[in-house]
Formats: sequence, structure tokens, C-alpha cells
Amino acid sequence: MVKFKNVTKRYGEVLALEKASFEVSKGEFIFITGPSGAGKTTILKLILGEMLADSGEIEVDGVNIANVNERDIPIYRQKIGTVFQDFKVLPERTVAENVEVALAVIGLPQDDWDQRVKHVLKLVGLINQIGLFPAQLSGGELQRVSLARALIVNPKLLLADEPTGNLDWQTSDSIMQIFEKINKEGKTIMMATHNQEILKKYKKRVIHLESGRITK
Amino acid sequence: MSIHFKTAKDYIKRSPFQTLAAVFVLTLTFFVATLVSILTYSSSKVLRYFETRPQVIAFLKDGVSTEVVVALQDRLLADVRIKEVKYVSKEDALSIYKKATSDNPLLGELVSPTIFPASLEFSVKNLSFAQAVIDEVKAENIVDSVGFTAALGGESELKNVVGRLRTITAYVRIGGAIFTGILAMASFMVILFTISMRMTTRRDEVEILNLIGATKKFIRGPIIIESLIYAGGGVLIGWTVAFIAVLYSAPGVLSYFGEIPVLPKNTFDLLSVFGIILGFEIIFGFLLAYSGSVIAISRVKKAR
Repeated sequence: MVKFKNVTKRYGEVLALEKASFEVSKGEFIFITGPSGAGKTTILKLILGEMLADSGEIEVDGVNIANVNERDIPIYRQKIGTVFQDFKVLPERTVAENVEVALAVIGLPQDDWDQRVKHVLKLVGLINQIGLFPAQLSGGELQRVSLARALIVNPKLLLADEPTGNLDWQTSDSIMQIFEKINKEGKTIMMATHNQEILKKYKKRVIHLESGRITK
Repeated sequence: MSIHFKTAKDYIKRSPFQTLAAVFVLTLTFFVATLVSILTYSSSKVLRYFETRPQVIAFLKDGVSTEVVVALQDRLLADVRIKEVKYVSKEDALSIYKKATSDNPLLGELVSPTIFPASLEFSVKNLSFAQAVIDEVKAENIVDSVGFTAALGGESELKNVVGRLRTITAYVRIGGAIFTGILAMASFMVILFTISMRMTTRRDEVEILNLIGATKKFIRGPIIIESLIYAGGGVLIGWTVAFIAVLYSAPGVLSYFGEIPVLPKNTFDLLSVFGIILGFEIIFGFLLAYSGSVIAISRVKKAR
């Protein structure tokens, strides 16, 4: 599903990623770990096409990102679901509207939204909060909104950047259980985290980074 | 309702004063633009009226037979440069004279029809044809002399009147265009400023939309719709207020100008004129709003 071949990325003089090579198979759930500034988020940003690698090749679902035209990047991103540490929900939209916006982006007819939104909100346990605004939600609930928005477009690949970074253990665990459930349904998941409790409880393949280098 | 319309509506609801400011400036612009358009129309009509009044009088020699006069009249009527040819007999000339001197009947009693020559009065479709037509008519055997611009009392005076009208018309057009242009520029700047502010406050939202794969068109949609709503509102309110003002003042204006058709006298023609103005204003307003919002959006482009 995802292939990195000798990928290097620099931010000016700072080396963010150095000759990183790894593969993630379809349906796999992997953790990307390492201290802050090790290059975890850089990997996810490269996969999302937010920036281009300085050298090396990145292939996602058979597509070499370097060959994707800038105009086609949005279409490419629509196939990837992303969950962020800071949730990135739209503050002036309700839970339902936050999820619906992803369907609007992919151009799904409005008549088909309601059923899909209710289904995915049930999956993440937010069906009772459907009409609430982000300001009325807890951190865990906001992360579920972010997850629901990522899932509703039925992505092939789910990227999660420290999704439990701002949450307590109990909430983090409940979020992780949803990720597990999604993975069992066949979704490929790449999650950046440095939460040791999660790594201990959920035994998955780990890509560990130190100063931009994959160490294990 | 489409998500773009709903989003645009929400933006407008969230910042009512910004919306009011934008719509107010656009309303003022299109109110003035409508009035300037009507003034331009009216001044053109006044100019055209004076340009096409009977301007040439061919005084006929005495004793000319009716057949010969009719033949010349027909020839003049067939000339594409000439319009409204009218035969004025000696008797007609006398009655015109008597009417003109009605405040002093003695003057009318002292003259007989024989001293007034019969004449053919006509106007040229464009003043530039006048000299050539006069020369041709002068060459006719039955024509004794040709007077120009008798209706206004002399050649030089009509030229002056028409010249002055042309100058006034040009001033109305140029002045109106400059004033409307300044207001249009102010409207453009207000749209640019409003949409730039909107883009600044929406920066996070744009970033989120970018990350979930929204196309540029999707992101721009609600913002462009918002500016089109401003423009649509400004055009409709500005045009309507100007239309009501013109309708209200029309009877007084029409009676003041008398036979000069400064405004269409029937409702359908008046509505047609205003309809055309509205059509142009909608196109111009939407172009103004679209270009303003696209420029504002392009300022916050994010490099990959």
C-alpha cells in the first residue's frame, strides 16, 4: 500500500528524514514512533502530498506521489483519511456538518449523506452528539469527529498523527479500540505516536525514528 | 440548499456589519450608475431631438406649379440623408406669421400671403450632411434661396445650440463615467477587503479543507458566492431606488421638457430602458464581485 525508497527530506539545513525505506502492506496497522522532531509527522505529510521529498520515491497504492500533478493532489488526498492531534474540526459547524463536509468534498450527492453520516457517527459513538458544536464537545469526542470525517469517505489508507496526544489514557484507549475495529474491517492504518501505553497494549509493527533515521 | 450557499449564508450572518458596509457601497455605486445611465440616455435624446429638428427651408420661386413642387418633395423624401419633408404654402406661411405675431395683430393685418414665399421644410438625419444637402437644393431651378436652421433663428445659433448640447452630453458621459468608475473602484476595494478579511479568518478552515482533499473550486465556492450576493444585493437595491426616483420625477421632467423625449413616454419603453440597464449592471456587478474575490483568494495561496 505504501512504499518509501530512500526518501530524504530537509527543512533548510535541518535533516527531517534521511534515506527512509519501508513498506506498509494493504490492511496493515503500523505505528511510527520516536521522539519529537524525529520525522514522524514528516512521513505523514509526505504521504499526504503536503510537501515533496528532496530525493527518493514514495508510492501510495501504486501511485508515485512525485508524479501527481499539483492540480490532482486534492483528488489524491480524497482517497486518504487523516486524523490530527489537534483534531482540526471546523469550529462553527455541528458534528454532522463536520462529517458532511468530507462528503461534499468528494462530490457525493446530498441525498446520500444522511444515512452515511449516521452510520459513521454510530461507529465512533457520537450519534447522540450529532447536532452539537465542537465547543460543546470533550477532547475525546472531538477526536472522534475527526475520525468520523476521515472514515466517511471510505479511504484506502488512514493516517493518524498523534491522535491520542491530547487525550487521557481512558479516552485514548477508547479511540484506539475504534482504530482496531476499523483495521479489522480491512483499512490500512499508519499512526504516529509516542504513547508507550498504546504501543504496549496494541502490539503492531513499529517503525522507530531517531533524528530522521529509521532505527528499527 | 447546497453546502456552498449554506456556508456563504453563514459567513454573511456571522459578520452583519461587514455585509452591510459592502452592500451599502455597492448600492451607492449602482444607484449612481443607474442615474448616470438614464442621464446619458436623456442627454442623447435631447441632442438627437435638436439635431433632427427641421433645419433647412428651401424658399420656392413664385409661380411654380404644384406638380413641380411635388416632384421635388418626392425626390427629397427619397433621399436617405433627409427626413420629414413638409410643404408650407404661402397661406400656411402667413398663418404661421400671424400666430407668431398674435400679441400684435396689427402686424398680421399689414401683410398679404403674396409676400411670403412657399417653402419646403426638412431636416437632415445628421448635421454633417447639412452643407451638401443645402448645396444640392440650392441648385434646383424652382428654389429661390435656402435658409438653414430657421427654426432656431439662424445657422450659427443652431450650430451653437447643438455644439453646446454635444459638450453637455460629453460632460455627462465623461463625468458620469469617471464618478461611476471611482465608485466602482471603491466597491471593488470593499469586496477585496471584505473577502481578504474573510480569507484571513478562514485560514484554518481552508487548511483543513485542503488536507481533506478539497479542490480550489470547492474552497473558493462559498467565498465567491458571498461576494456575488453582495453584488446582487447592491445592484438590485441601487437600481430599484434609482428606478423609483425616476418614476417619481418622470411626470415633472416630461412636462418640463415638453415635446423633447428625455424619457420614454410609455411604460413599456421605460421598463425596457431600465431592464437593459439592470442587465448590464448585473453582468458588471458579478464581474466586479468575481474578480475581487478571486484576487483576494489568490493572495492566500499556499505553496506546496
